[in-house]
Amino acid sequence: MIKNLCQKMFGRSLWVYHANSGGCNGCDIEVLNVLTPYYDVERFGIKLVGSPRHADVMLCQGPAMRSTAAALRRAYEAMPAPKLVFAIGSCACGGGIWHDSYPVLGPVEKVVPVNYYIPGCPPRPEAIIYGVAVALGLVDKRVVPVEVRQLPLIIPRYHPDDLRGRDELVVYEKADSL
Amino acid sequence: MIAREKLNLFKQKFGPAINRADLTGENRVFVFVEPSALKSVCEHIFRDLDARYVIGIAVDDRPYSGTFLAAHDFAFDRDNILCSVLAHLPADDPRVDSISGVVPAANWAEREMHDLVGLEVVGHPYPKRLVVPDGWPQGVYPLRKDFAWNQAPEGFDEHQEFKFDEPPPGCTVVPFGPFHPTLDEPAHFRLYVEGEFVRGCEYRGFMVHRGIEKLAESVLGYNDIPVMAERICGICGCVHSVTYVQAVESAAGLRPPPRAEFLRTIMLELERLHSHLLWVGLAGHVLGFDTLFMQCFRIREPVMWIAEKITGNRKTYGLCVVGGVRRDLSSELEVELGQVLDRLETQWRTVLGAVLKDRNIRKRTAGVGVADASLVKETGLVGPLARAAGVAIDCRRDHPYAAYGQLDFDVITAGEGDVWSRLVVRAKEVLESIKIIRQCLAKLEDGPIGLKIEDELPVGRLGLSSVEAPRGEAHHFVITGENNRPRRWRVRAPTYQNLQGVPTMIKDQRLADMTISLASIDPCFSCTDRLETIELATGRARSWSHEELIRLARSRQG
Repeated sequence: MIKNLCQKMFGRSLWVYHANSGGCNGCDIEVLNVLTPYYDVERFGIKLVGSPRHADVMLCQGPAMRSTAAALRRAYEAMPAPKLVFAIGSCACGGGIWHDSYPVLGPVEKVVPVNYYIPGCPPRPEAIIYGVAVALGLVDKRVVPVEVRQLPLIIPRYHPDDLRGRDELVVYEKADSL
Repeated sequence: MIAREKLNLFKQKFGPAINRADLTGENRVFVFVEPSALKSVCEHIFRDLDARYVIGIAVDDRPYSGTFLAAHDFAFDRDNILCSVLAHLPADDPRVDSISGVVPAANWAEREMHDLVGLEVVGHPYPKRLVVPDGWPQGVYPLRKDFAWNQAPEGFDEHQEFKFDEPPPGCTVVPFGPFHPTLDEPAHFRLYVEGEFVRGCEYRGFMVHRGIEKLAESVLGYNDIPVMAERICGICGCVHSVTYVQAVESAAGLRPPPRAEFLRTIMLELERLHSHLLWVGLAGHVLGFDTLFMQCFRIREPVMWIAEKITGNRKTYGLCVVGGVRRDLSSELEVELGQVLDRLETQWRTVLGAVLKDRNIRKRTAGVGVADASLVKETGLVGPLARAAGVAIDCRRDHPYAAYGQLDFDVITAGEGDVWSRLVVRAKEVLESIKIIRQCLAKLEDGPIGLKIEDELPVGRLGLSSVEAPRGEAHHFVITGENNRPRRWRVRAPTYQNLQGVPTMIKDQRLADMTISLASIDPCFSCTDRLETIELATGRARSWSHEELIRLARSRQG
């Protein structure tokens, strides 16, 4: 349903508002980068606007914080329907390294409903464009399995509880096919 | 040893009040004094010895010494000495005299001491809540050791709103933030406006306080923390990870191999390049000069690409660990980095020529947001803000770290202290950074990139480190601890001090100049809140809301 809605309503004109609810700025400047000459998303009709009242899409960066939850909710409510929310970056998608810290509530979906997730710390500009293009139905979603080996660290004890062996592989399984 | 001479000066003046003194290196002094003498010692250091105030730290040391610790850090920039004055406070009555009266720069640091650790700061001129969220219950202090990092405080009231002060008579209140087009990060200013002029403001920030210091003290290990430290700020992340590992190295008496120091220097300067180019672009954006914004980002992009080739990520490089760095620089990449710098220099000189001759930018920024040398001293402003006011402080030269002691570069200063001067300083620093990286590439020698550390790091040692971030001095304070993690880690980002100067800078300025004045300190809220950076990215000077414009127009009629 959302996909159809996106294609129908937002095809060549997507006005985005970006709200950093408590992130480190890394994602913000990548979002800015997307607007500048090398990546230039204006060719897809995507434009950054200064007020949620003008926006079709809210880009959320950073985890949901106790201190900004109310303001974030107000910004979401100020957007006219139909509206979409993109969670950009690891913090917005899952809460990041501080997901259970005392001032942090967790991922932004605890405060506003999220339609699309673009993970990364920070996501590359290409990833952001790709995520938006998937949402708009311009490209198909593709997922590749990745193997990651933990680099050996210089201090022998990596973690007091020694969570995992040093040469063990961490394999991220392929997500379910689409 | 100069540090010893400083210590002798303290001893002559305050002999009986000094309980203990640690000289952990030629350039580090830790003085433990009686709590009753803390204020007079700090005043003497700040006024008579003319040191720069850096930060105040509160530590819950009850599990180890049975007391709380309060500390104030100072920097002697001309002598290359970092000094910390500490006092043990009794566990049942942690009261400490406020030094904000005599050292105005300590204002926020002392409010934070109360908010996070629960020290009672006696005689503070403005003891208002600073850090913890509005609905946070009274009497719960997250940085105490008996508070778990993942604890949801009982009695948290999410509907509680911050109580702002009454505006001065005759003034209208214009809210600015927390989500404002000129701020990528959340922060709230209440501007008191009379006609078109700003007469004052109240700041409510720390919305990006993510509890980073608490996580480091209770969850992570020594070598996990640099990775988290990079995420303090998405723009100057490498600075924080280098500052942290240097603080730990200074506490543990380690010295990384020379090649590692040069690699750190190269990445720090690459980061300064991308940060300054970003800032000039955003300043153009805030002023409505979008061509400059686009040009700066076009020039900046190859810097991001080469950073990605060297470290594997465009930002958050994951480069530093205690004792060295994790990735080496191949000789092919050295050549490529040199070529990137050549192209960057040519292109930047063209843009710089256009910017420095542009009369519109000059008219819009000259005489705006002035911070003079006395404000720099009183509020402890750092970085381009201080250098633009003619105060030549630069940690790269004053407190040499990594490979900076072996390099030749200029500290750029200007005299006016306004936004224009800051623009000129930053623009010229780009060229200095290019010069520094070229020297590093020429002097880089083969060798190991990390120490092999087999033993546990010693426990209970103190470490200080200062690094010149693009926005000013980043300063970290570390007490090493058990379980492979520090007992206390205090981060002070440059914006922490610089933001305290903003109310003075915007006073009696036009409302329309507020955005560029704020942007000119290149605020980084995430750092300040240990979770914020300022993103001037979307900044538009004309983006006042309809409501605000109507209000503004009415107040002018009045």
